[in-house]
Amino acid sequence: MTADHTAATAVTAVPAAPQATTAPRPAPPPPRRRNPAPLLFLLPFFVPFVLFTLVPVGYAFYQSLLRTERTGGTFGRKTTVFAGFGQYAEVLGDPEFLGSAGRVLLFGLVQIPVMLLLALVLALLLDSTVARLKRFFRIAYFVPYGIPGVIAALMWAFLYDPRLSPIVELLDRAGAQPDFLGSSMILWSIGNIVTWTYTGYNMLIIYAALQAVPADIYEAARMDGASEAKIAWRIKVPILRPALILTGVFSIIGTLQLFTEPQVLRSISTSVTSTYTPNLAAYSLASSNNYHEAAAMSVTLALATFVLSFGFLKLTGRKAES
Amino acid sequence: MSLPTRRPMLRRALAALTVLPVLAAAACGSPDTGGSASGDAAACEKSKGKVELSYWSWIPGVDKAVAEWNRQNPDIKVNVKSTPAGNAGTYQNMSNALKAGNAPDLGQIEYDSLASFRLQDGLTDIAACAGVEGAKADFADWTWSQVTFGAGGEDGVWAVPQDTGPMALFYRKDLFEKHDIAVPQTWEQYYEAAKQLKKADPKAYITHFSQTDPNWFSGLLWQKGANMFGQDGDTWKVDVGSPAGGEVADYWQKMIDEKLVATNLQGFSPALYKAWNNGEVATWVSAAWGYSTIRDNAKSTSGKWAVAPMPQWSAGDRKAGNWGGSTTAVLKGSEHPYEAAKFALWLNTDPKALEILNREGGLYPAATAGLRLEALQQPVDFYGGQKVFDTFAEASRNVNTDWTFGPTMTDTYRFMGDGIAGALGGKGTLRDALQAADAKTVDSLGKQSLEVAK
Repeated sequence: MTADHTAATAVTAVPAAPQATTAPRPAPPPPRRRNPAPLLFLLPFFVPFVLFTLVPVGYAFYQSLLRTERTGGTFGRKTTVFAGFGQYAEVLGDPEFLGSAGRVLLFGLVQIPVMLLLALVLALLLDSTVARLKRFFRIAYFVPYGIPGVIAALMWAFLYDPRLSPIVELLDRAGAQPDFLGSSMILWSIGNIVTWTYTGYNMLIIYAALQAVPADIYEAARMDGASEAKIAWRIKVPILRPALILTGVFSIIGTLQLFTEPQVLRSISTSVTSTYTPNLAAYSLASSNNYHEAAAMSVTLALATFVLSFGFLKLTGRKAES
Repeated sequence: MSLPTRRPMLRRALAALTVLPVLAAAACGSPDTGGSASGDAAACEKSKGKVELSYWSWIPGVDKAVAEWNRQNPDIKVNVKSTPAGNAGTYQNMSNALKAGNAPDLGQIEYDSLASFRLQDGLTDIAACAGVEGAKADFADWTWSQVTFGAGGEDGVWAVPQDTGPMALFYRKDLFEKHDIAVPQTWEQYYEAAKQLKKADPKAYITHFSQTDPNWFSGLLWQKGANMFGQDGDTWKVDVGSPAGGEVADYWQKMIDEKLVATNLQGFSPALYKAWNNGEVATWVSAAWGYSTIRDNAKSTSGKWAVAPMPQWSAGDRKAGNWGGSTTAVLKGSEHPYEAAKFALWLNTDPKALEILNREGGLYPAATAGLRLEALQQPVDFYGGQKVFDTFAEASRNVNTDWTFGPTMTDTYRFMGDGIAGALGGKGTLRDALQAADAKTVDSLGKQSLEVAK
């Protein structure tokens, strides 16, 4: 027990070092008492985390500080020089990148609440005492998440395409002439695909949280004469708060990373540009061999994701306290 | 696992990680292995013993031509890898492989991307390799000019031309006859034909305007003589927004505004193929290789299509544009440039190879000998027994040879495509699109530290 504790502080001590000046900490235990076993268990997480998360981000950051220079004409000598934060100035001054950021923010403001509300309702329905075939529906809602993103996007692309889609044909006959791929609707067509894919996934997280609630709470509520609806609203939803915040953070991250759906729809819709989402913009830059600026764009995007998701956590956390 | 050994392992791993930035910094300090402009034509020596070469290409059926080579040359074995089209991912993979130092010996690269690969220092100068110097006469002039960047070979030879895409007008002969529309010889007549068709069948369009094919639009600019780029020594001249190009843009903008062209069809999409099959789209101004695109994707319209020369801006002209066409390049880092160049020359000049590439992949050869291929003299059933390649041979002779692609063409195409998306969605015009692409291209050349004339 004590050995575990000391080893754990030894591990956290590394990143938490700056705190040392502000907060008093227990004196570091003598080194000989350290037990290396917990570190061993951390390795399977720590090594891939360093290799596949920290190193690439660090490398991208490093690349973003460079630029290419040439001497001796077009096909002359190429050198890579240090450029400071010049690439970041380029990125932040790029109206198309900012436009794409605005687009996904608008997207997130509409799509995330819709999706999470749907997920919540589905989870509550599944959890209600009157629900039948629970196991079947649980799987059925989750199935879309199991379908690879590209396949899902392709499938929906087919359903949106005015010349191929049976749905559009039916709507046409009914007199409505939707243009799912036109410039005014394409963003919401993408939103539909995302909602379809991730609602079941979020539902499962919320549902799992519901399962963890002890049944006697409900029993007590029922004894007090609360209806099922009242139990759902007054008891279950407040209990689900952490799960909703978690799915909210996941969704914010996912929204900023939006890439697959617009990229796939690009092959059939004439209204998706190469900078439609920030991620697509970074990809396009890298594809045209502007690695340094693409790196700066990726780091900016990563920072924005970090700030927004932690901002959301802070905001929801503060509300919980008040 | 014994515990005591673990810590040193972790320490070693961490040490290795801290070394990485140092390595990267070292790479930064020293100049990248620069291909010098004077063409440091290293001797192109024959390798000793048996050689194996790797080759990336996306020509359908290229493996059959390679099999023929391997049969004839047991000492130089070529392993071909079938890849997605260049802009669909292969160029990106090639760039990455070049950066990592494990690129294939040979790769398929389109003319418009060749400069960009040279800019990355990804190509090997094969001028000194046996047979390359003398091969100049074997290829259509303008294609040789593309692989030598206009310097005729004194600045190196950076690839072997493979095929070209001289453009002509594919049209639905049956529909034109049914609605009594004359085959347009000028763009003005093409516009009239579009209106006539719309009147006869409100659901039909003369053609589609795709957003993902800015290289198609470049082919139209090419025909008009609206050169997008020029080079004066080491200074680049960007002319994407030229007045002549603006005229082409205005013409098509009128077609879009009057809803005479389908604006919601992307090139090479299932929806386009359906529109071809059911007669919704009646023409396609496209390249020679387009004959197999229609043949393979609009099977139900067999016998209904015909090919005519591209419509002209002035009656009596015979100008043609070019869309696409590839080269076979020896990539940087190949240990066997002699053998690789030998294979590249064979693949693109040997009658047997050309025949296979034409039959399987629909390639229209860049080699002048290829134009005399038996297969290209034959009537094509799909086109109602028309000898369509006569039209393309004529077009090939009429392609303006004075055309330069920019060194960051991927960027330029991307900017054009984005602007076209706006024009198709009713935000801005094609003229705006070209002008915006012009400004952004200047910017992008600057970011690559290239000199741009103001």
